[in-house]
This record gives sequence, C-alpha cells and structure tokens, in this order.
Amino acid sequence: MEINRADSKDKAKHGRAGVSRRTFIKLSGLAGAAVTASYAFRKYALAATPTSESPGSEFPQVEGVVSEQLIPTSCLNCATRCATRVRVTNGRAVKITGNPLSQVSEGENCARAHVGLQVLYDPGRFTLPLKRTNPVKGRDIDPGWTAIPWEQALDEVSERLKTLRDSGQPHRLVVFHGLNTTSGEDVIQRFATAYGTPNVISDAGFDNEADKSGQWLADGNYTQSAYDLPRTNYILAFGASILESYKPLARSLRMWGKIRRERPNRAKVVVIDPRYSVTALRSDQWLPINPGTEGALAMAIASVIISENLYDIGYIENWTYGFDEYKALALDIKYSPESVAAVTGIPTDTIRQLAREFAQTKPAIAWRGRGATSWPNGSYTSYAIFCLNALVGSIDVPGGVIYQENPPYRSMPDVTEDDIARAGKAQPIIDLRKTARFPAAEVVSNQAADSILEGKPYPIEIAIGINSNFNMLAPGADRWDRALATVPYYVHIAPFPGEMAEFADIILPACTFMEEWGYDHSPPGSGFAEVRIKQPVVAPLYGTKSVANITFELARRQEGTIAQSFTGIGNDAEGFVQYRTSSLAPWEEFRKQGVWVGPAYEYYKYGRIFLTPTKKFEFRSGNLQTLLLRAGQSTGGVATLPHYEEPEFLGDPVNYPLALLPYQPLMSVENGSQNYPWAQEMFLVMHGQGWNNFAELNRHTARDLGIRDGDAVWVESPYGKIRAKARVFEGLHPGVVAIATGQGHYAYGQWQTGIGINPNEIIGTDYDSLSGQAVFFNTRVRVYRA
Amino acid sequence: MAKWGMVIDLGKCTGCQSCSVACKAENDVPHGSPEEHQQQRAPFWHKVFAVSQGEYPTQKINLIPMPCMHCEDAPCIVVCPAKATYHREDGIVIQNFRRCIGCRYCIVACPYGVRNFNFKDQVSQEYHRPDLPLERTDKGIWPFPQRVRGVVEKCTFCFHRIDQAIREGKKVGSDVVPACAEACPARAISFGDIEDPNSEVSRLLATRGSFRLREEMKTEPKVFYLYG
Ligand code: SF4
Repeated sequence: MEINRADSKDKAKHGRAGVSRRTFIKLSGLAGAAVTASYAFRKYALAATPTSESPGSEFPQVEGVVSEQLIPTSCLNCATRCATRVRVTNGRAVKITGNPLSQVSEGENCARAHVGLQVLYDPGRFTLPLKRTNPVKGRDIDPGWTAIPWEQALDEVSERLKTLRDSGQPHRLVVFHGLNTTSGEDVIQRFATAYGTPNVISDAGFDNEADKSGQWLADGNYTQSAYDLPRTNYILAFGASILESYKPLARSLRMWGKIRRERPNRAKVVVIDPRYSVTALRSDQWLPINPGTEGALAMAIASVIISENLYDIGYIENWTYGFDEYKALALDIKYSPESVAAVTGIPTDTIRQLAREFAQTKPAIAWRGRGATSWPNGSYTSYAIFCLNALVGSIDVPGGVIYQENPPYRSMPDVTEDDIARAGKAQPIIDLRKTARFPAAEVVSNQAADSILEGKPYPIEIAIGINSNFNMLAPGADRWDRALATVPYYVHIAPFPGEMAEFADIILPACTFMEEWGYDHSPPGSGFAEVRIKQPVVAPLYGTKSVANITFELARRQEGTIAQSFTGIGNDAEGFVQYRTSSLAPWEEFRKQGVWVGPAYEYYKYGRIFLTPTKKFEFRSGNLQTLLLRAGQSTGGVATLPHYEEPEFLGDPVNYPLALLPYQPLMSVENGSQNYPWAQEMFLVMHGQGWNNFAELNRHTARDLGIRDGDAVWVESPYGKIRAKARVFEGLHPGVVAIATGQGHYAYGQWQTGIGINPNEIIGTDYDSLSGQAVFFNTRVRVYRA
Repeated sequence: MAKWGMVIDLGKCTGCQSCSVACKAENDVPHGSPEEHQQQRAPFWHKVFAVSQGEYPTQKINLIPMPCMHCEDAPCIVVCPAKATYHREDGIVIQNFRRCIGCRYCIVACPYGVRNFNFKDQVSQEYHRPDLPLERTDKGIWPFPQRVRGVVEKCTFCFHRIDQAIREGKKVGSDVVPACAEACPARAISFGDIEDPNSEVSRLLATRGSFRLREEMKTEPKVFYLYG
C-alpha cells in the first residue's frame, strides 16, 4: 500500500534531510507544514529513505482566499500543447481553464487539460535523484534505489558523459525523448549536437510518421497534414479519430462544434474505420472497412472521380505532375468500385456515393490517420489518400489541406563543434533512418531497440531517456526491456516512475510541465503560427528541475565546446525561453498573455509549397524516385505511384483469425503515465467504464467464440498472450478485437498499477517500409475464454 | 427572478467529457477508486452516459452529458423527509448537507440517477479547497470546504458562480456559466434564463428541436437537449 498523504503520524516520524534550507525555511513558516517519507516505486522500498515535503501538505489550512493568481501557461498532456490558465489559490493550483487568447483552439481545451492538476500533485512523483544499487536489470527486478543529492547525481552523469566523449565515442550516446515541450526538445537537440551524437530518437516513430511521408511523397513536405477544418464542408476520415486522438485535438473539438452547428451549411463527415469511434458516433456515416484496406478504397474513389470526370481539371493541369500515370493506374480494373468492394467490404454503391459527394461538395478533405497508415504499406496508403485532396483541388484553398506556418522563434547561434563532435555525428544513426531499409524515414523509434540489442552499427554505452516510456508505447515492448537491460548506463529524466525508468542506473527527477519554463506550439492544423508560454504555476515541488535546466547544468559541467554552445542563449530555462521568444513579443507581455498569434493564414501559395523536383504536386513521386535510385532500388512499376498493397499480417489467419486493433481513447494521457484518478474513472466513455480496458468484440464474433460480455478471456498473438475482460460491443467490425491503449502499467502508481492491459505487449514488430513508422494494426490474434 | 436552465446541443457535443472533469475540479468532488467504480459508488455530479440502440452495423450510440436536471417538479424534493433538498427562488434544486439525514429517498426518487451518496470521510488535505465559497452564501447553504460523510450531494448548476456573478454585476449565461459549460470545447452547453426570451438558451430552444429526458414523468427538467 502506498503512503497515505493524510497520515500525519507517519510524517512526524521522518526528519527533514533532503529539504533544502530555503525550502525548510519556507515550510516552517507555514501552518500545518509537515514532511513525509516519499517513496518512489510502489513495489520497491528505498534503500535509504529520502524525505521531502508531500504535495498538499505545505498549504495553509485557512478558510477563504488569501492569495489568488491566474497564471497563463500551457498543457502537455498531449502534443497539442494547448494554452491554459491555471488558477492558483493560497499557493495551490486548483483549476485549469483555457486561455481565450489562443486562436488555434479558440481558447478551448480537452478533458485532459484538467488532469494537469493530478499530474502536478501525483503522490508517486520522484522527489530526489535516485541511484541504482542492484546491477541486475529487468522487468520486475528491484533496482535497489538509493536517494542521492542533486549535485552528486549531476556530477556522476557528467562524468560518465565526459569519459565516453573523451574516448572519442560520443555517438555511443543515445537520447530518447517522449512528450517534451518544444523548448525542451530544442535544448535536448542542441546538447546532442554539441556533444556529438546523431542518435536522438523521439517517439514520433510510434505515432504517425507514415502520415507524414504520404504528404512528402506528393509535395515534399515531410509533415502531418494541416486541414482547414473550420471552413470545410466535407470530411472523409480514413482511420483518423478526429475527436479522440488526432492532434491538434482541442482545435478539432472546438471546430467540430463550429462546422456542425454554428454555420448555416453543416459539414458532412464520413468515418472509415473498423471501429465505431467517438468520431464515427458523432459523424453522419460510419463505414466499417476491412482492416488495412483503406488504400484500396482511396484508389477506388479516385477511379470513380476520374472516370466520371469529377476532378478539378484546372488545378490538375496547372499544379500537378504525373496525373496521366496516376489516372491509368486508378482506372485499372483492380481499382474499380466492384473489385474494391470485395476487398474493403464497402458496397460498390457506397464507394460511388462517397466519390461523388467528395468531388462535388467543395471544399472537401480526405483526412488520413494512423488507423489507415500504421501498416506495412502505410506510406503508399497515406499517399493514395492524400492525393484525393489534389484530385478535387483541395490544396491550399479555404477548407482544404493547408500548409502550417512555423513560429519565427529567434534563431540560435550555431553550435560550437569540435572534431570529436563532428566525427561522432558523421556516424550512422542506430535507427537506420535514410538507409536502404527505411529510405524516407526521419526517425524509426522502434528500430533502436533492435539495433541496441544487436550492438549494430556500434554498441551503445550511455542512454538518456527524457520523459519517455517506450517500454509501454512500443509494439514488441519486451524488446525494449531487453535492450535497456544491456545498456551499460541508462539515465532516466522524468517527474514520475514508469516502466522505462525501472531500467535506469540513475534517475533525475524532472518537474512537470506545470512547474517549468518553456515555449510550445501545436502540430500542424491551424495554418497560422501560434506560440504558448509555459511558466511555473508553482515552484517545482521537492526542488525538482526542468528538463531544460537539467540539460543546461549538464552542458555546463561538460565544459569546452558543449558549455560554449550553451552560452549566449540565456543561462537557464527561463533565460532560454526569453531569448527564443524575444522575436515574438516583449517578455513581460508574453508572460502576461501567454500566447503569441502569428499573421493570418494565406492560401494559394502554389509557388512555394511544393518541394518536389517539378515544383508541383506530384501524383508520381519524384522525391521517392531520387531516394530509391540512390538506394539502388527499383523505381519501376508502381513504386513511385500511390497504390494499394494487400496488407501483410503477422500471424496466420487460421490460428489467429482476428486482427488486433489498439486505439487511443481521449482520456489516455500521453505523458507515459495514467496515474490520474480523473482520467481513470472516465476512461472509456463509449462503454461508461473506467479503471479498465477491455478486449472488445463484435456481438457475432463473441457469439461464435462462445464469449459473453464480462468473461475473462485470453487474447493471444504469435508473440504472447494477455488476459482481459471481454466486452461485447456493437460498434466493431466482426474481424477485429479492439483494445484501448493507456492501461496495463505495472511499474508504479496506486491509480494505474495492475489496471487493464497493454495491447503492445502482444503486437509484433513491423514497419512501414518507407517511413519506418511502427506498425500497430497488422497483428493477428485469437481470443478464447480464460 | 431568473429561472436558470441549460441547453446541451448533441449536434455539437464531441463526447470528450471535459464537462465531467471540469465539474470535479470546480466543485472538488472526490474521485472514485476501482472498487467504488465497481460498486457504482464513485461520486459524479456530472457524467456523460452512453446510450446504445440497435445492432451492428446500424447501431446508434449516443453520448449524453448529464448534470442534475433541476426539475421544476422535482421528485427528490417531494420525498425528502428532512426538507434538506429544496428549490432556490431561481429554480436551482439545492441540497443542504446540514439537514440531510442520509436516508437516500431522494436517490431512489430521482429518475435521472444524478444524486450521489457520500460514502467517504473527508480527506482534508486532498479536498481542502479554501477558494470554494464559505458556508453561507446569498441564497443557500454551501457545505464546503467541509465535505460530510453520509449525506447526499449533487450538481448545483454552480450556484456559487451565479451568485458571485450577480454580486459583481456580470451577466450569467455569457460572462459567467457553470464549470461544465465553460469547459466544453465544442461550445455545446449553453446556460441562462429560460424565462428571458432574449437569452441564448431561449433562442436555441425556439429555433431548434429539443427534448428533455424522461419527459413522460412530468418532472419538467430545466436541462434541454438539442437533437444531434
Ligand atoms: S488537446 Fe492535448 S494539449 Fe490540449 S488540453 Fe487536451 S491534452 Fe492538453
């Protein structure tokens, strides 16, 4: 059982070691202040008991409002990073609301924004740096944590980094990062560059890299597409849950209200997804498609639009390249509505209806999401769906695909590099991006585990994980357990324990996003640029430090060119944020408003947006052609055209008849933890259920398997099995079993440990061949009663 | 005197549950635990319910945000033996924790299941919220910050916000709304005076088709839903 924060008897027993003098003075001045033993991991006792104040206890128990502030900052419970304002009463953050100055979401937030309070006051947070005493690493092995002072921890990490670098091997450092502030990412990248490692591995490869490469194939922008949601009249959503997980989420939620009921002409939304998502529920039409066949549907829609001459001739003649080849391919019998109906399970008439509506309701958007693209053929599917937008002229027009403007942050002076750094960065990157294996990839997050295990192209000596929890996030999660166990020195930087943290040799307790300085912006969506500040709404609890400040301190301790690279850009996190945003607004004004909004979006920038050899939108990808030629691969046939490839599944259909479909519900928090009671108790709105997730089955499937609602079942893939509670649900394609992600934590937290299951534990490891996107949807399973 | 009512547009609602979480944060409603969830004892003053009809592939599921309906003819008020629940002048159905004897007749009587019994002792540190209104407000008794075990609690339409707005001369319905309405990113929840023909809620009810839950029970709820 965890320590009860309210147990004051317990608190009295412990001393105040570890509380800095300043904190101590601050504390002792407050009525009712008490300190308590902090604990780090639920399962493991600490070898030495560090002490520190517990959150909540330092607040005076007075009646009435003694002090009150409304502090503009921003959320980081997902990558949307919405602008918020936090109400702080008597020194305690009590309520989070949107910042009306934000234009991206028009001042709105999603439900998770409120959960920020429970992220901040999570009773399981780290309070002091921890050092491992048990050299044996593995899942469920007690690391034998012992608390150490900050100075010692930073010195030790610095020493290790220095030794590695001095040996001329800086590339043997790998940095993993999960959800960090934009400013945090910038600082991390700068450190890696100055240090001399090319190995910065973000978690993007688990997210939507194939979405990005699809757009790159067509127009050269390796980015998630931005859609001009408030002005569109028709949305064809392919595997994108716009109202649950697609980012910028709060913008989509806000604009949904606008396009459905705040305009005279209500936008129509059609959702193509084997799962009846919340988006499908709120849409006009739901089409449960056979898993992995979205590419075929996109090609069939193109075929109808082309054969019925419904495409935008003017746009295609002036601003596209390769249309004739695309046309010839789309008109192939293989993509006729009749053939594709058999592949997708969507009736011929419906395909025709979709194509006509899509071409004739202007402006229309073909919106792709990871449900459609996180497949081995994902980039091509992504490309095929994206091309539909060009077919109807929905490129850089109001209500169509738009091109996100980046905020003009003040640029930083070049990193000072020495020979060691230059040599290190010239080494191949361990995730094999931009190699023949993953020619178009920007990051192949999941590959890093295998490369580390194989010691290829070289062994990794030090890993640093920053707000990352790849051991939960990655398909084939056990590979990450094994990989991290082999890394000689692993540094974990995060506010709370987690599955990845269990492998650390040393833990540096970061503060949460509620306590740090930063700047942030959303993923593409709004078109215009917008920046939000992050500023501490309360001083970092327990004396924890922000990721940026930790990085600054490490850089300083490295001395030489690394320390030099961190001068002249502000001396710490706050200074850095001030430096980088000085090009946007005066500091005091930015702090007060919390938001900077760029100029209004300009459409029709055809002269600038196409980064392709022809400077046009390409139905036949010149960018890919160049890459394939360089990699010595064939460019013949359909290799550079949008097309459909039958999805390859892992597991044979006889023994494993169902496709496993993991999905992210809105209440799944993206910071690597789910230890938040509010998010837990409302976890699955569709099922009216919290504190759990399920193996969801169509009624017919369940009946055939002799499974009733609530039965305990095994979900077994070729890679393992997990025990779950069955949920019979009408809103599912009969060929799939759906499992919500975000549960199944085992490392820490009274509000998450042992709750639900993590589907990633039985998902096989596979990749989209071009982008290296981890594949999540092609694992077959069988389900039977436990 | 205004009559406060709420209009929830199911055509805009995205099922995100911001309303339910914002309510918890605003009113300091304790969170539940897995066990309480199992026993359906977890307190919610506001909850989004899923209502399912039909079978695959033509099933229809609706997500319905549910605060207290603040019925004009409220069965809970009728059955309360202690007069602990009553109408304020402005139509808000309020619960006086001091008078409540915990008999739970009202929970049985409420056709909407929006009332909660507080099974928990106050965990003072966790739920201490000095910023919430003091015991006595203009028009009723407010129990916080001392939460009491063994009484019934429920949605108040955030009357503390309303009272404060009126005191400060702000306009209820535009300047100030209940926490759920404020938090709704789709702006699906409108709040205001249903007897004022110029209010936003009246305008919506006049121009759009609406319904109330369990209309046949003649409880005259003041929460209206616009068709999705
Ligand atoms: S959309 Fe993401 S960033 Fe915005 S409020 Fe929700 S969780 Fe926070």
